[in-house]
Amino acid sequence: MTRPTLAALFVLLLAASAHAHHSFAAEYDGKKPAMFTGTVTKVEWTNPHVHFFVDVKDSAGATAQWEFTMGAVNGLFRRGWTKEMLKPGDTVTVDGYLARDGSHLANARTVTLRDGRRMSGGTMADDPPN
Amino acid sequence: MRFVVPFLFIVVVAMASPAAAQWNGAAPPRVPRNSDGSPNLNGPAPKTADGKPDLSGVWRPDRNQKCPPDGCPDNQMSEQFLDLGWGMKDGLPYQPWAADLVTRRTARNGQDDPTSHCFPGGIVRLHTYPAFNKIVQTPRLIVILSEREVTYRQIFLDGRPLPKDPLPTWKGYSTGRWEGDTLVVESSGFRGEDIWLDRKGSPLTDVATITERIRRVNYGRLQTQLTVNDPKAYTHPFTVTLNEYLEPAGELMDFVCLENDKGGPDFLGK
Repeated sequence: MTRPTLAALFVLLLAASAHAHHSFAAEYDGKKPAMFTGTVTKVEWTNPHVHFFVDVKDSAGATAQWEFTMGAVNGLFRRGWTKEMLKPGDTVTVDGYLARDGSHLANARTVTLRDGRRMSGGTMADDPPN
Repeated sequence: MRFVVPFLFIVVVAMASPAAAQWNGAAPPRVPRNSDGSPNLNGPAPKTADGKPDLSGVWRPDRNQKCPPDGCPDNQMSEQFLDLGWGMKDGLPYQPWAADLVTRRTARNGQDDPTSHCFPGGIVRLHTYPAFNKIVQTPRLIVILSEREVTYRQIFLDGRPLPKDPLPTWKGYSTGRWEGDTLVVESSGFRGEDIWLDRKGSPLTDVATITERIRRVNYGRLQTQLTVNDPKAYTHPFTVTLNEYLEPAGELMDFVCLENDKGGPDFLGK
């Protein structure tokens, strides 16, 4: 079941810089990390970024839909992801960075899956090739 | 670029089998091995049947960006993807108008970067963009397949000259020749407005020529000395060194940016 936790941890970063092929810095604020737990409602397993949507309850019990973005499909596959790992109905925990525009959008840095595995959202380094 | 990391919010992530899932995981033939059977990427560069260095393989650009202990907020990538003049004492030698342009582009955090809007990146970013490329080598033609936008580049080795009045394209027109173990590639014929050399927005104009001196240093590394001669945008030619690394069991996978692009309203040309 959905754990009603919206633990948005806003912490100080003295300096941060972020860039993506799709301009992370233009869309997300590296100074605004946040964590969410909720129920997946939709997954778009597409390029240039995978998007998924999660119903998250706040402390008052109200549900809001959040959209999360991850890396490109090929990068996620190379990290061990498959599209079967994330399905509507799954309870997941996501930590990431909030959108600059204040909307219910965040970049998913890590996703804790229904089976407890914690996966990179494709925004951190791949392992070296050997 | 330096990161200071007073992260209370430390995500210590045990990444689940990262990079383990390669496309079928087949290693190329003739890969040198260490005594434990693992690929020896420091082994000697292979040769083709005609005795030239064999540049074939799947390659990925350098990831020399420094990240905090808990990882970069975003992809770790090549510093030169972000700033082609990284490591140069005074940066790239911009003409005044180009310096102004780069300042404006940088202030917008890369929103106007053509690659952010699913356009090709040009040949400099082929060496720096965090995606895989595959080099297919024949004696008279080298083809570089890029998974990014599923594009190609051709380098003609048959002795033809560069065209005098080429059709301007994103990757230009390229001819190459061998100088010892180094492939020397000359290119011209670039689109004059839309090509950024890096995320900062360093421009490339239609008068530019680019010379690449490409050498497979060992089995696992390609090194390119890349010289940009573009007197419209830069006060003098400059040379940068770019490294790419072999993905011995890697394979290309489609990256078609337009599948589900939600890049917002700042699209090129709008």
